[in-house]
Amino acid sequence: MTLRKLAYLSLMATVLAMACRSGHKHYALRGQVMDKNSATSEITVNHEEIPGFMPAMTMPYKVKDPAVVEEVEPGDKIAAEVVLNDDGKSYWLEDVRITDESARKSTPPPAPSERLDVGQPVPDLPLVNQDGKTIHFSDFKGKAVLLTFVYTRCPMPNFCPRLSSQFARIHDDLAKTPDLIAKTHLLTVSFDPKYDTAPVLRRYGLAYLDNDTSGFAQWDFASAAPGDLRALANAFGLLYFEQGNQISHSMDIVLISPAGKIAKYWATDWTEAELEDALRTEATAAPARQTVQTGRLQ
Amino acid sequence: MSRHLVPYVRWWWLLVVASVLAIWPTCRDRQASQRGEELFQQHCAICHEASNLDLKKQPPKLEGLFQSKTLPSGAPVTDEQVRKTIINGIGTMPAFDQRLSTEDVNDLLAYLHQLK
Repeated sequence: MTLRKLAYLSLMATVLAMACRSGHKHYALRGQVMDKNSATSEITVNHEEIPGFMPAMTMPYKVKDPAVVEEVEPGDKIAAEVVLNDDGKSYWLEDVRITDESARKSTPPPAPSERLDVGQPVPDLPLVNQDGKTIHFSDFKGKAVLLTFVYTRCPMPNFCPRLSSQFARIHDDLAKTPDLIAKTHLLTVSFDPKYDTAPVLRRYGLAYLDNDTSGFAQWDFASAAPGDLRALANAFGLLYFEQGNQISHSMDIVLISPAGKIAKYWATDWTEAELEDALRTEATAAPARQTVQTGRLQ
Repeated sequence: MSRHLVPYVRWWWLLVVASVLAIWPTCRDRQASQRGEELFQQHCAICHEASNLDLKKQPPKLEGLFQSKTLPSGAPVTDEQVRKTIINGIGTMPAFDQRLSTEDVNDLLAYLHQLK
Protein backbone atom coordinates (compact mmCIF):
# COMPACT_ATOMS: atom_id res chain seq x y z
CA MET A 1 0.00 0.00 0.00
CA THR A 2 2.90 2.34 0.58
CA LEU A 3 3.63 2.40 -3.11
CA ARG A 4 0.01 2.96 -3.92
CA LYS A 5 -0.10 5.84 -1.43
CA LEU A 6 2.92 7.35 -3.05
CA ALA A 7 1.35 6.94 -6.46
CA TYR A 8 -1.82 8.66 -5.33
CA LEU A 9 0.19 11.44 -3.69
CA SER A 10 2.20 11.95 -6.87
CA LEU A 11 -0.93 11.98 -8.99
CA MET A 12 -2.59 14.49 -6.69
CA ALA A 13 0.48 16.71 -6.60
CA THR A 14 0.70 16.61 -10.38
CA VAL A 15 -2.97 17.54 -10.78
CA LEU A 16 -2.66 20.43 -8.32
CA ALA A 17 0.59 21.61 -9.86
CA MET A 18 -0.97 21.60 -13.31
CA ALA A 19 -3.91 23.58 -12.03
CA CYS A 20 -1.56 26.23 -10.68
CA ARG A 21 0.96 26.07 -13.48
CA SER A 22 1.94 29.20 -15.36
CA GLY A 23 2.67 28.98 -19.07
CA HIS A 24 4.46 30.62 -21.93
CA LYS A 25 1.35 31.86 -23.67
CA HIS A 26 0.68 32.65 -27.30
CA TYR A 27 -2.28 34.65 -28.53
CA ALA A 28 -3.32 35.41 -32.09
CA LEU A 29 -3.47 39.10 -32.97
CA ARG A 30 -5.09 40.73 -35.99
CA GLY A 31 -5.05 44.45 -36.49
CA GLN A 32 -3.82 47.51 -38.30
CA VAL A 33 -0.50 49.22 -37.75
CA MET A 34 -1.04 52.79 -36.61
CA ASP A 35 2.53 53.82 -35.90
CA LYS A 36 6.03 52.42 -35.62
CA ASN A 37 9.19 53.30 -33.75
CA SER A 38 12.42 51.79 -35.03
CA ALA A 39 14.41 53.10 -32.06
CA THR A 40 12.39 51.06 -29.59
CA SER A 41 11.44 48.23 -32.00
CA GLU A 42 7.79 48.94 -31.35
CA ILE A 43 4.73 49.07 -33.52
CA THR A 44 1.41 50.52 -32.37
CA VAL A 45 -1.44 48.28 -33.45
CA ASN A 46 -5.16 48.93 -33.51
CA HIS A 47 -6.14 45.32 -32.96
CA GLU A 48 -9.25 43.23 -32.64
CA GLU A 49 -10.11 41.52 -29.38
CA ILE A 50 -7.48 38.98 -28.37
CA PRO A 51 -9.58 36.34 -26.58
CA GLY A 52 -8.19 35.56 -23.15
CA PHE A 53 -5.65 38.34 -23.30
CA MET A 54 -7.00 41.74 -24.17
CA PRO A 55 -10.05 43.56 -25.51
CA ALA A 56 -9.84 45.39 -28.82
CA MET A 57 -7.63 48.45 -28.43
CA THR A 58 -4.77 50.45 -29.84
CA MET A 59 -1.46 49.94 -28.09
CA PRO A 60 2.26 49.62 -28.80
CA TYR A 61 3.97 46.22 -28.91
CA LYS A 62 7.63 45.33 -28.92
CA VAL A 63 8.56 43.25 -31.92
CA LYS A 64 11.01 40.41 -31.45
CA ASP A 65 12.56 40.83 -34.89
CA PRO A 66 13.60 44.49 -35.38
CA ALA A 67 13.60 43.97 -39.17
CA VAL A 68 9.82 43.70 -38.98
CA VAL A 69 9.59 47.32 -37.80
CA GLU A 70 11.36 48.39 -40.97
CA GLU A 71 9.11 46.23 -43.08
CA VAL A 72 5.68 47.27 -41.84
CA GLU A 73 4.18 50.69 -42.43
CA PRO A 74 1.27 52.49 -40.81
CA GLY A 75 -1.94 51.39 -42.47
CA ASP A 76 -0.78 47.80 -43.00
CA LYS A 77 -3.09 45.10 -41.74
CA ILE A 78 -1.19 42.39 -39.92
CA ALA A 79 -1.56 39.05 -38.24
CA ALA A 80 0.88 38.12 -35.51
CA GLU A 81 1.35 36.17 -32.30
CA VAL A 82 1.47 37.94 -28.98
CA VAL A 83 3.83 36.00 -26.74
CA LEU A 84 3.48 36.48 -23.01
CA ASN A 85 6.72 35.50 -21.31
CA ASP A 86 6.83 32.71 -18.71
CA ASP A 87 7.44 35.26 -16.01
CA GLY A 88 4.41 37.21 -17.31
CA LYS A 89 6.42 40.42 -17.07
CA SER A 90 6.94 41.01 -20.72
CA TYR A 91 5.22 40.37 -23.99
CA TRP A 92 6.08 40.93 -27.60
CA LEU A 93 5.02 40.14 -31.13
CA GLU A 94 6.37 37.25 -33.14
CA ASP A 95 5.57 35.88 -36.57
CA VAL A 96 4.28 39.22 -37.85
CA ARG A 97 2.73 38.86 -41.29
CA ILE A 98 1.37 41.67 -43.43
CA THR A 99 -2.04 40.51 -44.63
CA ASP A 100 -3.06 43.63 -46.50
CA GLU A 101 -0.93 46.59 -47.43
CA SER A 102 -3.49 48.33 -49.63
CA ALA A 103 -4.09 50.95 -46.91
CA ARG A 104 -0.37 51.55 -46.40
CA LYS A 105 0.42 55.14 -45.60
CA SER A 106 3.83 56.33 -46.54
CA THR A 107 2.61 59.85 -45.93
CA PRO A 108 0.44 61.21 -43.12
CA PRO A 109 -3.20 60.14 -43.41
CA PRO A 110 -5.34 62.43 -45.50
CA ALA A 111 -7.73 64.59 -43.59
CA PRO A 112 -11.44 64.08 -44.10
CA SER A 113 -12.78 66.24 -46.86
CA GLU A 114 -15.10 68.02 -44.46
CA ARG A 115 -12.18 69.52 -42.58
CA LEU A 116 -12.17 73.27 -42.62
CA ASP A 117 -9.44 74.87 -44.66
CA VAL A 118 -6.91 77.19 -43.15
CA GLY A 119 -8.41 80.66 -43.06
CA GLN A 120 -11.99 79.49 -42.57
CA PRO A 121 -13.85 80.58 -39.43
CA VAL A 122 -14.24 78.12 -36.58
CA PRO A 123 -17.86 77.04 -35.93
CA ASP A 124 -19.05 78.78 -32.80
CA LEU A 125 -20.49 75.71 -31.10
CA PRO A 126 -21.16 75.71 -27.36
CA LEU A 127 -18.84 73.87 -24.99
CA VAL A 128 -19.15 73.29 -21.25
CA ASN A 129 -15.96 73.87 -19.32
CA GLN A 130 -14.54 72.48 -16.09
CA ASP A 131 -16.63 74.90 -14.04
CA GLY A 132 -19.86 73.83 -15.74
CA LYS A 133 -19.93 77.13 -17.59
CA THR A 134 -20.99 77.29 -21.24
CA ILE A 135 -18.28 78.79 -23.41
CA HIS A 136 -17.99 79.49 -27.14
CA PHE A 137 -15.04 79.85 -29.46
CA SER A 138 -16.13 83.46 -29.94
CA ASP A 139 -15.27 84.07 -26.27
CA PHE A 140 -11.62 83.82 -27.30
CA LYS A 141 -11.74 86.39 -30.12
CA GLY A 142 -8.61 88.49 -29.93
CA LYS A 143 -6.57 85.55 -28.62
CA ALA A 144 -4.62 82.89 -30.41
CA VAL A 145 -6.03 79.55 -29.28
CA LEU A 146 -4.28 76.21 -29.27
CA LEU A 147 -6.94 73.50 -29.33
CA THR A 148 -6.68 69.77 -28.89
CA PHE A 149 -8.89 66.81 -28.10
CA VAL A 150 -8.39 64.14 -25.44
CA TYR A 151 -10.36 61.91 -23.15
CA THR A 152 -9.44 61.73 -19.49
CA ARG A 153 -9.44 57.94 -19.22
CA CYS A 154 -7.00 57.54 -22.11
CA PRO A 155 -4.46 54.98 -20.87
CA MET A 156 -1.96 55.43 -23.71
CA PRO A 157 0.95 57.56 -22.50
CA ASN A 158 1.91 58.59 -26.02
CA PHE A 159 -1.57 59.86 -26.84
CA CYS A 160 -3.76 62.03 -24.59
CA PRO A 161 -1.47 62.15 -21.53
CA ARG A 162 1.38 63.25 -23.79
CA LEU A 163 -0.75 65.93 -25.43
CA SER A 164 -1.89 67.27 -22.08
CA SER A 165 1.66 67.18 -20.74
CA GLN A 166 2.85 69.19 -23.73
CA PHE A 167 0.05 71.69 -23.25
CA ALA A 168 0.93 71.92 -19.55
CA ARG A 169 4.52 72.81 -20.33
CA ILE A 170 3.41 75.36 -22.93
CA HIS A 171 1.05 76.81 -20.34
CA ASP A 172 3.88 77.06 -17.81
CA ASP A 173 6.10 78.78 -20.37
CA LEU A 174 3.44 81.28 -21.42
CA ALA A 175 2.78 82.11 -17.78
CA LYS A 176 6.33 83.46 -17.62
CA THR A 177 5.52 85.99 -20.33
CA PRO A 178 2.75 88.24 -19.00
CA ASP A 179 2.33 89.98 -22.39
CA LEU A 180 1.29 86.71 -23.95
CA ILE A 181 -1.12 85.63 -21.23
CA ALA A 182 -3.77 88.05 -22.46
CA LYS A 183 -3.21 87.10 -26.08
CA THR A 184 -3.29 83.31 -25.90
CA HIS A 185 -5.53 80.56 -24.66
CA LEU A 186 -5.31 76.78 -24.46
CA LEU A 187 -8.37 74.65 -24.98
CA THR A 188 -8.65 70.92 -24.39
CA VAL A 189 -11.91 69.35 -25.53
CA SER A 190 -12.95 65.86 -24.47
CA PHE A 191 -14.47 63.42 -26.91
CA ASP A 192 -15.90 61.39 -24.05
CA PRO A 193 -18.68 63.72 -22.86
CA LYS A 194 -20.52 60.89 -21.11
CA TYR A 195 -17.67 60.31 -18.66
CA ASP A 196 -15.83 63.61 -18.82
CA THR A 197 -18.28 65.77 -16.93
CA ALA A 198 -17.29 69.17 -15.59
CA PRO A 199 -16.03 67.80 -12.21
CA VAL A 200 -14.00 65.09 -13.96
CA LEU A 201 -12.50 67.66 -16.34
CA ARG A 202 -11.75 69.97 -13.43
CA ARG A 203 -9.87 67.24 -11.59
CA TYR A 204 -8.03 66.29 -14.79
CA GLY A 205 -7.11 69.90 -15.48
CA LEU A 206 -5.87 70.51 -11.97
CA ALA A 207 -3.50 67.55 -12.28
CA TYR A 208 -1.85 69.29 -15.23
CA LEU A 209 -2.00 72.73 -13.60
CA ASP A 210 -0.24 71.64 -10.41
CA ASN A 211 -3.53 72.13 -8.54
CA ASP A 212 -3.48 75.85 -9.29
CA THR A 213 -7.07 76.80 -10.15
CA SER A 214 -5.93 80.17 -11.50
CA GLY A 215 -4.51 78.25 -14.46
CA PHE A 216 -8.04 77.70 -15.76
CA ALA A 217 -8.11 81.38 -16.73
CA GLN A 218 -5.74 80.48 -19.55
CA TRP A 219 -6.57 76.85 -20.17
CA ASP A 220 -10.09 75.51 -20.43
CA PHE A 221 -11.01 71.84 -20.30
CA ALA A 222 -14.36 71.37 -21.94
CA SER A 223 -16.80 68.87 -23.37
CA ALA A 224 -19.58 69.26 -25.90
CA ALA A 225 -22.96 67.67 -26.47
CA PRO A 226 -22.46 64.53 -28.61
CA GLY A 227 -23.97 66.13 -31.75
CA ASP A 228 -21.88 69.27 -31.37
CA LEU A 229 -18.80 67.19 -30.68
CA ARG A 230 -19.26 65.27 -33.92
CA ALA A 231 -19.72 68.54 -35.80
CA LEU A 232 -16.54 69.93 -34.22
CA ALA A 233 -14.63 66.75 -34.99
CA ASN A 234 -15.69 66.93 -38.63
CA ALA A 235 -14.79 70.59 -38.80
CA PHE A 236 -11.29 69.91 -37.50
CA GLY A 237 -10.71 66.57 -39.20
CA LEU A 238 -10.67 64.62 -35.95
CA LEU A 239 -11.40 60.91 -36.19
CA TYR A 240 -12.75 59.11 -33.13
CA PHE A 241 -14.92 56.14 -32.38
CA GLU A 242 -15.69 54.07 -29.33
CA GLN A 243 -14.11 50.63 -29.16
CA GLY A 244 -15.35 48.72 -26.16
CA ASN A 245 -14.47 50.84 -23.16
CA GLN A 246 -11.85 52.83 -25.00
CA ILE A 247 -11.96 55.51 -27.64
CA SER A 248 -9.80 55.16 -30.70
CA HIS A 249 -8.89 58.53 -32.07
CA SER A 250 -6.55 60.54 -34.16
CA MET A 251 -4.47 63.24 -32.56
CA ASP A 252 -5.16 66.71 -33.78
CA ILE A 253 -3.98 70.08 -32.69
CA VAL A 254 -5.52 73.19 -34.17
CA LEU A 255 -4.21 76.74 -33.98
CA ILE A 256 -6.99 79.31 -34.15
CA SER A 257 -6.16 82.90 -34.98
CA PRO A 258 -7.27 85.86 -32.84
CA ALA A 259 -9.83 86.47 -35.59
CA GLY A 260 -11.38 83.07 -34.89
CA LYS A 261 -10.11 81.41 -38.04
CA ILE A 262 -8.16 78.21 -38.59
CA ALA A 263 -4.48 79.14 -38.72
CA LYS A 264 -2.78 75.76 -38.72
CA TYR A 265 -3.26 72.04 -38.17
CA TRP A 266 -0.96 69.40 -36.77
CA ALA A 267 -2.06 65.81 -37.10
CA THR A 268 0.85 63.44 -37.05
CA ASP A 269 4.05 65.11 -36.01
CA TRP A 270 4.93 68.17 -34.09
CA THR A 271 7.24 69.31 -31.36
CA GLU A 272 6.29 71.20 -28.28
CA ALA A 273 8.58 74.05 -29.33
CA GLU A 274 6.90 74.19 -32.72
CA LEU A 275 3.45 74.46 -31.13
CA GLU A 276 4.55 77.14 -28.73
CA ASP A 277 6.36 79.16 -31.37
CA ALA A 278 3.34 79.03 -33.67
CA LEU A 279 1.04 80.11 -30.84
CA ARG A 280 3.32 83.00 -29.91
CA THR A 281 3.65 84.07 -33.54
CA GLU A 282 -0.08 83.91 -34.12
CA ALA A 283 -0.78 85.87 -30.95
CA THR A 284 1.57 88.66 -31.90
CA ALA A 285 0.99 88.69 -35.67
CA ALA A 286 -0.58 91.77 -37.23
CA PRO A 287 -4.27 91.20 -38.07
CA ALA A 288 -3.64 91.68 -41.81
CA ARG A 289 -1.11 88.88 -41.79
CA GLN A 290 -3.47 86.51 -40.04
CA THR A 291 -5.90 86.54 -42.89
CA VAL A 292 -3.34 85.44 -45.42
CA GLN A 293 -1.33 83.05 -43.32
CA THR A 294 -1.27 79.59 -44.75
CA GLY A 295 -0.72 76.75 -42.36
CA ARG A 296 0.99 73.52 -43.19
CA LEU A 297 -1.69 71.19 -44.36
CA GLN A 298 -1.12 67.53 -43.68
CA MET B 1 -12.25 -4.37 -3.26
CA SER B 2 -11.38 -6.74 -0.45
CA ARG B 3 -12.54 -5.98 3.03
CA HIS B 4 -9.05 -5.38 4.48
CA LEU B 5 -8.52 -2.42 2.09
CA VAL B 6 -11.62 -0.50 3.25
CA PRO B 7 -9.93 1.39 6.12
CA TYR B 8 -7.17 2.53 3.75
CA VAL B 9 -9.66 3.73 1.16
CA ARG B 10 -11.47 5.86 3.76
CA TRP B 11 -8.15 7.21 4.94
CA TRP B 12 -7.23 8.06 1.36
CA TRP B 13 -10.35 10.06 0.70
CA LEU B 14 -9.79 12.05 3.90
CA LEU B 15 -6.25 12.74 2.78
CA VAL B 16 -7.40 13.85 -0.66
CA VAL B 17 -10.07 16.17 0.75
CA ALA B 18 -7.71 17.58 3.39
CA SER B 19 -4.97 18.17 0.82
CA VAL B 20 -7.27 19.90 -1.62
CA LEU B 21 -8.66 22.08 1.15
CA ALA B 22 -5.16 22.92 2.34
CA ILE B 23 -3.71 23.68 -1.08
CA TRP B 24 -6.72 25.21 -2.80
CA PRO B 25 -6.46 28.70 -1.23
CA THR B 26 -2.79 28.91 -2.23
CA CYS B 27 -3.61 27.68 -5.70
CA ARG B 28 -6.50 30.13 -6.04
CA ASP B 29 -4.33 33.02 -4.79
CA ARG B 30 -1.66 32.09 -7.27
CA GLN B 31 -4.14 31.99 -10.12
CA ALA B 32 -5.51 35.38 -9.05
CA SER B 33 -1.99 36.74 -8.93
CA GLN B 34 -1.19 35.33 -12.36
CA ARG B 35 -4.31 36.84 -13.84
CA GLY B 36 -3.45 40.08 -12.04
CA GLU B 37 -0.04 39.99 -13.65
CA GLU B 38 -1.60 39.63 -17.09
CA LEU B 39 -3.90 42.57 -16.35
CA PHE B 40 -0.91 44.53 -15.10
CA GLN B 41 0.87 43.93 -18.37
CA GLN B 42 -2.21 44.94 -20.36
CA HIS B 43 -3.14 48.07 -18.49
CA CYS B 44 -0.39 49.25 -16.15
CA ALA B 45 3.03 48.28 -17.46
CA ILE B 46 2.81 50.63 -20.43
CA CYS B 47 3.26 53.49 -17.95
CA HIS B 48 4.52 52.01 -14.69
CA GLU B 49 7.32 50.00 -16.25
CA ALA B 50 8.30 52.56 -18.87
CA SER B 51 11.04 55.14 -18.59
CA ASN B 52 11.43 58.63 -19.98
CA LEU B 53 7.86 59.02 -21.13
CA ASP B 54 6.99 62.43 -22.54
CA LEU B 55 4.74 63.16 -19.58
CA LYS B 56 4.47 65.92 -17.03
CA LYS B 57 5.14 63.40 -14.28
CA GLN B 58 6.82 60.04 -14.67
CA PRO B 59 4.58 57.24 -13.39
CA PRO B 60 6.10 55.58 -10.31
CA LYS B 61 7.46 52.04 -10.37
CA LEU B 62 5.26 49.74 -8.33
CA GLU B 63 7.73 47.11 -7.12
CA GLY B 64 7.46 46.75 -3.36
CA LEU B 65 4.30 48.86 -3.26
CA PHE B 66 2.74 46.89 -0.44
CA GLN B 67 6.00 46.80 1.47
CA SER B 68 5.92 50.61 1.60
CA LYS B 69 4.13 52.57 4.27
CA THR B 70 2.63 55.07 1.88
CA LEU B 71 1.58 55.28 -1.73
CA PRO B 72 3.39 57.72 -4.04
CA SER B 73 0.48 60.09 -3.31
CA GLY B 74 1.28 59.93 0.41
CA ALA B 75 -1.87 57.97 1.26
CA PRO B 76 -1.51 54.83 3.36
CA VAL B 77 -0.97 51.61 1.46
CA THR B 78 -4.19 49.68 1.87
CA ASP B 79 -6.16 47.53 -0.54
CA GLU B 80 -8.99 50.01 -0.49
CA GLN B 81 -6.75 52.99 -1.21
CA VAL B 82 -5.06 51.21 -4.12
CA ARG B 83 -8.46 50.06 -5.42
CA LYS B 84 -9.70 53.66 -5.25
CA THR B 85 -6.61 54.87 -7.09
CA ILE B 86 -7.07 52.33 -9.88
CA ILE B 87 -10.78 53.03 -10.34
CA ASN B 88 -10.77 56.82 -9.96
CA GLY B 89 -7.24 57.60 -11.10
CA ILE B 90 -5.11 60.10 -9.28
CA GLY B 91 -3.19 63.10 -10.52
CA THR B 92 -2.35 62.46 -14.15
CA MET B 93 -3.07 58.73 -13.84
CA PRO B 94 -6.28 57.98 -15.78
CA ALA B 95 -9.28 56.36 -14.13
CA PHE B 96 -9.91 52.73 -14.98
CA ASP B 97 -13.55 53.09 -14.01
CA GLN B 98 -15.82 50.96 -16.24
CA ARG B 99 -12.76 49.36 -17.75
CA LEU B 100 -11.72 47.00 -14.97
CA SER B 101 -14.23 44.87 -13.07
CA THR B 102 -14.16 44.31 -9.30
CA GLU B 103 -12.65 40.88 -9.97
CA ASP B 104 -10.00 42.44 -12.23
CA VAL B 105 -9.00 44.86 -9.48
CA ASN B 106 -8.96 42.04 -6.90
CA ASP B 107 -6.58 40.09 -9.12
CA LEU B 108 -4.43 43.16 -9.73
CA LEU B 109 -4.21 43.69 -5.97
CA ALA B 110 -3.18 40.06 -5.53
CA TYR B 111 -0.37 40.62 -8.02
CA LEU B 112 0.69 43.96 -6.54
CA HIS B 113 0.88 42.33 -3.10
CA GLN B 114 3.51 39.89 -4.28
CA LEU B 115 5.36 42.39 -6.52
CA LYS B 116 8.63 42.73 -4.66
